[in-house]
Amino acid sequence: MFLNTRNYRLLQALILLGLGAYFTWKIVSGTLFFYINERFLWLIIAGAIGFFVLAQAIWPRSAVEVDEHHHHDHDHEHTHGSSNRVWLLLIVSMPVLFGFLVPVQPLDTSAIETKGFSTNATLASLNDSGSVALSQPADERNVLDWIRAFNYSEDPSEFIGEPADVVGFVYHDDRVDDDQFMVGRFALSCCVADAFAIGVAIDSPDAGEWKDNQWVHVRGTIELATFDGEIVPQIVAESIKEVPVPPQPYLFP
Amino acid sequence: MKRLLNFLGVFGVALLAVILILLFQSFMAGGGNLFLVNRFTTFTTIFLGIFIEAAPFLMLGTLASGVVEIFFNQDAIRRLLPRNAFMGALAGGIMGFFFPVCECGVVPLTRRLFTKGLPPAVGVAFLLASPVINPIVIASTYAAFGFSPVFWLRIGLSLFIAVTVGLIFAVQMRPERLLRPVALAPIQGGSVDFVEPTPTQPLLSRLQQALRIGADEFFEMGRYLILGSMLAALMQTFIPQTTLLALGQGPVLSIIAMMALAVILSICSTVDAFIALAFVGTFSTGSILSFLVFGPMVDIKSALMYLQVFNRKTVIYLISLPMLMSFLMALILNYYVGL
Repeated sequence: MFLNTRNYRLLQALILLGLGAYFTWKIVSGTLFFYINERFLWLIIAGAIGFFVLAQAIWPRSAVEVDEHHHHDHDHEHTHGSSNRVWLLLIVSMPVLFGFLVPVQPLDTSAIETKGFSTNATLASLNDSGSVALSQPADERNVLDWIRAFNYSEDPSEFIGEPADVVGFVYHDDRVDDDQFMVGRFALSCCVADAFAIGVAIDSPDAGEWKDNQWVHVRGTIELATFDGEIVPQIVAESIKEVPVPPQPYLFP
Repeated sequence: MKRLLNFLGVFGVALLAVILILLFQSFMAGGGNLFLVNRFTTFTTIFLGIFIEAAPFLMLGTLASGVVEIFFNQDAIRRLLPRNAFMGALAGGIMGFFFPVCECGVVPLTRRLFTKGLPPAVGVAFLLASPVINPIVIASTYAAFGFSPVFWLRIGLSLFIAVTVGLIFAVQMRPERLLRPVALAPIQGGSVDFVEPTPTQPLLSRLQQALRIGADEFFEMGRYLILGSMLAALMQTFIPQTTLLALGQGPVLSIIAMMALAVILSICSTVDAFIALAFVGTFSTGSILSFLVFGPMVDIKSALMYLQVFNRKTVIYLISLPMLMSFLMALILNYYVGL
């Protein structure tokens, strides 16, 4: 039979090697953080090692050993059907296929349609770092820091006129004026499944010329704005520069 | 002939998948239909994100299960259990600390323990509680939620429901009555699937055996994880959260929605906390908890496994009791506690 235990083991081992290779590639290239929060790096390194260890364990060495193992196989008798095995292998190879063949791309504005766009991150996970954002020099704050600083501050008008220097993607929100656009970032606490887009409105006479998804570096001064009933930061742009997608496109609260 | 068909079948489907993806790549390079291209890359990113995050946790679970399988003597564990039904159920509820398996691994393990004479109260409490009350799931819940009320309530409510249902099963003294007769045959036959720990084997070869069981279980359970994360990614790609938001507003409907979601997604308890995190803010806290408490006890994949192992009456109890209890508790949380 084509899918005898030996060949099945061989394919299993190859898929595990593929998964290990995929994880390793993500770690080495740094694109791992297009998918998960950087605090889970250790987990993914352990996972990559685990895949290689598992692959060597089930790599069929000799016919005898495979045969012996077959008899000792624990309670997965229902996987012994050949078509069942085929499905098992196909499904588990999906992450390898998608991972290697689909172009690597972080979330962009097309995800905002379903995930939404927020100008005030009131999420519980964001609370405790407000004081850190306040103690930062103004021009070192990123989009998330500014929103936090505004959330945390008793009187946001203290920020008026402070220099702002932020990087993010352009997003034309329906809720802003024609001479404005949003500079947004995705923030995620675990993986892209929980990512949400946040941003700051930019005041610029040529706002209409900037296209959605273009990454820009904006310098300007802070103004107050009211958005959805909340006081949020807004930047009056002095200069807007086109920049490539940064190696770390997301922010980690 | 059959061999040939099989061969063609596997490579046919695999080839088809590769061709489809390559076609899509050239389609995208040419500009293509922007809507579809964007949605496809978003889907891929979310799918891979969930998988990358979850795979190491699943692997930990399956490796632990392999080690338990090879190195633990179940008879000795049974001798250590208390005779009193309540203490027994409680012991079953926290046994997950010593058998750290998620809901995928717990079903076969419980069956094996039952055939070794484990009292039903202990076994049922173990079956329902261990997918949550174990170090791996507690760690991943902590990673997602920190020491928030959700974290503590998930543990407390899971233990409470599991012990209560266990006590209801305490009226049945003979564990084999819970099982389907078919499920007993392969175990009592002995040779098919139980690996008796053989101290004569060198440690390294036993370790390799544990790894092989772990790898097998990774494939076995990994497919539910992969299908689940694809489903979740599809939903996140195509269903605007405003639609979900409409459901999530009601204190009752949100619970029903999240419990249904837990069943449909069938996500392994080692990672479901990360999935639940995506719904925090849009859904009521009670409904998030019902997802985290009920999901590990009952979902599509575990219900399928229950049906293979237990008789119909037992399965009905195993599904309906946790369902009612987690619904009621979530309701109380939404209405009276207001987290």
